[in-house]
Amino acid sequence: MEDAYGSLPSSHLLGSVPAVIPPNEKPENKEGATASMQMFPPGNGGYRAPGSSNVGDEQPATSWAGVFSISSYTPYFNVDTDVVVDRLMSSVYPLRGDFFSKIGANPDLYAPVWISTTLVFMLAALGNCASYLMKKKDPSHQWLFDVAYFNWSAGVVYGYVLIVPAASYFLLQYLGSNGSLIRLWCLWGYSLFIFIPASLLLVVPVEVFRWVIILLAGSASAGFISLNLRTYTEGHDLMVWVVSVFLLQFFLAILLKVLFFA
Amino acid sequence: MPYGDTIPLHASSQSDIDEIENLINASIQSGPATVHPTRPLSPPRASIPVSSPFVASEISPQAYQKPPLVPPGVPPPASAAHRQNVGGGVGFGASPNTLTEPVWDTVKRDLSRIISNLKLVVFPNPNREDPGKALRDWDLWGPFFFIIFLGLTLSWSASVKKSEVFAVAFAVLAAGAVILTLNVLLLGGHIIFFQSLSLLGYCLFPLDAGAVICMLKNNAIIKLVVVSITLVWSSWAAYPFISAAVGPRRKALALYPVFLMYISVGFLIIAID
Repeated sequence: MEDAYGSLPSSHLLGSVPAVIPPNEKPENKEGATASMQMFPPGNGGYRAPGSSNVGDEQPATSWAGVFSISSYTPYFNVDTDVVVDRLMSSVYPLRGDFFSKIGANPDLYAPVWISTTLVFMLAALGNCASYLMKKKDPSHQWLFDVAYFNWSAGVVYGYVLIVPAASYFLLQYLGSNGSLIRLWCLWGYSLFIFIPASLLLVVPVEVFRWVIILLAGSASAGFISLNLRTYTEGHDLMVWVVSVFLLQFFLAILLKVLFFA
Repeated sequence: MPYGDTIPLHASSQSDIDEIENLINASIQSGPATVHPTRPLSPPRASIPVSSPFVASEISPQAYQKPPLVPPGVPPPASAAHRQNVGGGVGFGASPNTLTEPVWDTVKRDLSRIISNLKLVVFPNPNREDPGKALRDWDLWGPFFFIIFLGLTLSWSASVKKSEVFAVAFAVLAAGAVILTLNVLLLGGHIIFFQSLSLLGYCLFPLDAGAVICMLKNNAIIKLVVVSITLVWSSWAAYPFISAAVGPRRKALALYPVFLMYISVGFLIIAID
């Protein structure tokens, strides 16, 4: 499966997800096979065993059964440990605008999924720790573990990472420039990475310190996103949108501070 | 040919009819719960000759074949009480007798399978280096029991919002097991979906034990120590299976979510008081 992705000819096309043509199609086509002239090889309409190297979502919209097969998502997880670590390190520096060239032809969804999941757990856990430490200074309060933090953090983080890039994608499509949804998800996912060490520092129960930390983290993250978006949409004048993305990310940082580390 | 009301039957046909009647009466007596598994198809039986007796002579050799419609060993009526079985004990390719065995046999067999799987996965044994050999006889009863038990223990220990705690714990563990398996599959690893679910469920056993201890002893330091030990134990149990499933350059990517899930469950155990 590795060599099929090694020789992608279209990596110079920014914003395109390269089409992967599997070497030879299995001759067994089930009864759901679509015989469309545009598609080669013809797609199986049914379930494909994981591990087969078909790319379901490269086919035209008639064959949507690829949504339910694992093998159609495998190209987005085609990263090694060192690649992921490298991308994570580069997401901390807000002043380099080269994230999209770093992704290249291989945007990955592994990191956005697990960064957001980690952030959900850390916010809920450390939020509880922070409230415990605050209550310790005021012994009249009875501290209770609040499990609703999990619900809130899951809602805020997952909602933000899913909806904002999707909305940006549709906005870009509407405004005429071509974007790639996967890259936008990848970018927003990596931008959340800096909140993980920030939330570790936010446990300290000193209010001024917390505000300083969250302002720094928020501006770093927002700067990272907006700078990379500006280089991504080089030819088009979408300054308004870039600025609004910056403000939105900053607003997320403030929200996280207020909800979990009050 | 004048046919009367009563058609003269061949001698052997009468005995066949008697046998069928006996069989029907026996099955009515033993209750509707009898499910006879499929028997091999009986060879063509002699049909009741309704035409003239002239044809009887041709079919008489056939008619002497005893139709094997009587199942070998009609279950004695005494076992009718055991017929309503807990059907969960039937594994793949089980013999038909598992439907008619006593409930205690089924439960005992499942329990012994759970214990043997537990010993394979969680405790040190020579098979750990070869994950394909261990946990070959996976099942989902063990993981189910451990997840529910952990949820219940956490819910008992919580002082407020008990049902929400149970819901969060159960959702995290169940969805977490599925998502972790999907993660390994998406990274290009080779595992069987349900075998991995089963494995991740069994690796919860140390955390279950830790949760029980923390429920009994509500001291923060003890909880911290106990949860750390059981966390390390769980991770050690899960490590060989997961790391053997993916390529060597992606091991950390596959293992990190497992640690994340166990750490978050460990945190839940510590923090709930």
